Amino acid sequence: MSVFKNKAFGMIASIVVTASLLAGCSSNESSTNNGATGKSAGKVEISFWHTYTDADADPIKKTVENFNQSQDRIKVKILGNQDPTKQLTAISGGAAPDVVLTYWDNVGPWADAGAILDLTDNIAKDEFDINTIIPAAMDRMKVNDKYYAMPFTMSIGSSLMYNKAAFKEAGITSPPETLEQLFDYAKQLTKRDDSGNISQIGFIPDYPWIDNVFWPVIFGGSWYDEATGKVTPNAEANVQAIAYQRSFYEEFGQSQIDKFKSGMGKRGTPQDPLLTGQLAMYIGWEYNFMQERTEDGPIGVADFPYPEAHPELKGSGMVSPRAVFIPTKAKHSEEAWEFIQYLMTTDTQIQFSLDGHVIPTIITALDDNRLLSEENKTMWTFYEKAKSENLNGFPNSPYISEYLQSLSEETEKALKGSLSPQEAMDNVADKIQPLVDKHS
Amino acid sequence: MTEKSSNTVGIRKRERKVLLTGLLFTSPWIIGFLIFQLYPVAASFYYSLTEYNLFKAPEWLGLRNYTELFRDEKFYLSMYNTLYITIVGVVPHLAYALVMALLLNTKVKGQSIYRTIYFLPTLVPAVAGSLLWMWLLNSQYGLINMGLSYIGITGPNWLIDPDWTKPSLVLMGFWGTGTITVMYLAALQDVPKMFYEAAEIDGASKWRQFWTVTFPFISPMTLFQLIMMLIASFQYFTEGMVFAEATQSTGGPENSLLFYSIYLYQQAFSFLDMGYASAMAWMLFMVVMFFAFIIFKTSAKWVYYGGDK
Repeated sequence: MSVFKNKAFGMIASIVVTASLLAGCSSNESSTNNGATGKSAGKVEISFWHTYTDADADPIKKTVENFNQSQDRIKVKILGNQDPTKQLTAISGGAAPDVVLTYWDNVGPWADAGAILDLTDNIAKDEFDINTIIPAAMDRMKVNDKYYAMPFTMSIGSSLMYNKAAFKEAGITSPPETLEQLFDYAKQLTKRDDSGNISQIGFIPDYPWIDNVFWPVIFGGSWYDEATGKVTPNAEANVQAIAYQRSFYEEFGQSQIDKFKSGMGKRGTPQDPLLTGQLAMYIGWEYNFMQERTEDGPIGVADFPYPEAHPELKGSGMVSPRAVFIPTKAKHSEEAWEFIQYLMTTDTQIQFSLDGHVIPTIITALDDNRLLSEENKTMWTFYEKAKSENLNGFPNSPYISEYLQSLSEETEKALKGSLSPQEAMDNVADKIQPLVDKHS
Repeated sequence: MTEKSSNTVGIRKRERKVLLTGLLFTSPWIIGFLIFQLYPVAASFYYSLTEYNLFKAPEWLGLRNYTELFRDEKFYLSMYNTLYITIVGVVPHLAYALVMALLLNTKVKGQSIYRTIYFLPTLVPAVAGSLLWMWLLNSQYGLINMGLSYIGITGPNWLIDPDWTKPSLVLMGFWGTGTITVMYLAALQDVPKMFYEAAEIDGASKWRQFWTVTFPFISPMTLFQLIMMLIASFQYFTEGMVFAEATQSTGGPENSLLFYSIYLYQQAFSFLDMGYASAMAWMLFMVVMFFAFIIFKTSAKWVYYGGDK
């Protein structure tokens, strides 16, 4: 008898367990419908995912707060620290956020896959003027000739940062103007110890990473020819860019540089090699040495040198924006678009730039007096750099990840001398052209 | 006759009830298994025959992903890297763990302290351990090259020279053999003492005792460890990913750290080629099965199960 009693109990128990398990499977769906992004008290709640870690999230939190208080129809719920893999999972699943802030190079593949809402209609409907945005930033949002995102902020790599003390010691009074000077100064700034090992080096072209966008930009290179539909990684300027980098390895020795590099301190820490003087110059971004690059600080900032033969390329640099987009599966795309427009207003851009020490992407904001506050002084020069007409970036596309990956791999071979720069870049073209043909 | 048959029907009815109850009780697991294991496995096989990017409906390709694999030089490279870490790594690690287990099995004072100390590194998370080792392996200031320089050897550029990145990982692997050692220790303690006594009376040396008594007795454990390590090694991911960070790239210097799972991850989440990645996963499955099969086949020759003959 007791068996039956237990059995009845067991049945109920297992039904409960099973039911709750199944409920667990669908909880995503129901919670988004009822709670997280639904309507509450007449307000539409939308969710906004961003990439900033908790330590850096205060400025974006403040921006969202301001938006929530600026009107009473939409409430934005914010979720930070979402890396691209998490974002990808979310926008492909059933509970997509309404607005996502991500790195610009995710936009190409995700847009092509159909995960991102095409903004063309929204831009037309609200007469949103994309000409107010820095072209180099806006261009990165374009995939297959359509805009899929807005560049909320951008980083610029167009500076040479240098250790002032090292310059002084070598008797160099001003930073190099041309790439030829850069090479010369690098030699002067390199020291070796008694056994011939490098103890200080002037410049390492692929530190901190092999930059397959920055260098071709500096040489006026290109990656894609709209007219012919061909990729152009092997264009003359691109090949020159790699040959130039290679010349440093030929000058200082591959194993010597490698060995010295492995002993350098970590970038962005007090052991940063530029700060310790191990390395005298490197490619600088606006987020490097915010505190140290003051007038009497240890780090100097200059325009990155240009090729002597091409003075028209002065002020060249690479742009790397952070993009905001609306996933195709977002439930409140209209409200999401309204929030994105708010993010792109001059006032928001200025506020966020002041709080987060970043570069606004709205052209008129760059000249706004509010940005010229004393405590924001180390950013001033970067607002100027953002106006340069020689800013450029890598074209966004469905195959951008493969293209960049292939460029890195082949550039590495050329830097190490196992292939000539021309051979290496021909390889890239051979590998990527079929992908382009497939997508066109 | 009739009485008997009605009895069997009764038993069957009861059996069916018991079965039903059993199924009901195990249903949470069964449903979980179907939804979270069987379905994904089956789905990945289907996707491996398609072009699929997570968003658009999969497009049928037949076996093209598989034939494409054989033309992909990075497939071979990543397979080579993975085989390297498996072949160069697994057997030495296993042998080292066994030697350590034998040492830790000797009756000395403070035995449990040694065992604890030896096991401790296993508790360090893979990422933290790798970061620590990157400091030890630093070619300028690392302790390892410093030690080598005392005996007159100029250590290699472990993390940057593509010839040395994988040996670095193998070296680090010795550090994390605690779990294998502990399992060997358990196996060693199961070897009946009387065999050693008999061997000693027969005048067998320690070396001889090891090969004729100890090794056969712990051979089932060796087989188990070998298979488990083989599988783990073919899925090598975290440490390779962390070490590649030294050069701020995905595959490390000249893709020398592009292990199979890392390449698979890259195909899936950077290139959004889920179909190709699924095909890679199935290919990996087949390769692992192949090696496991070979090990099982040869095991009859060297694995001894006490009792059966």
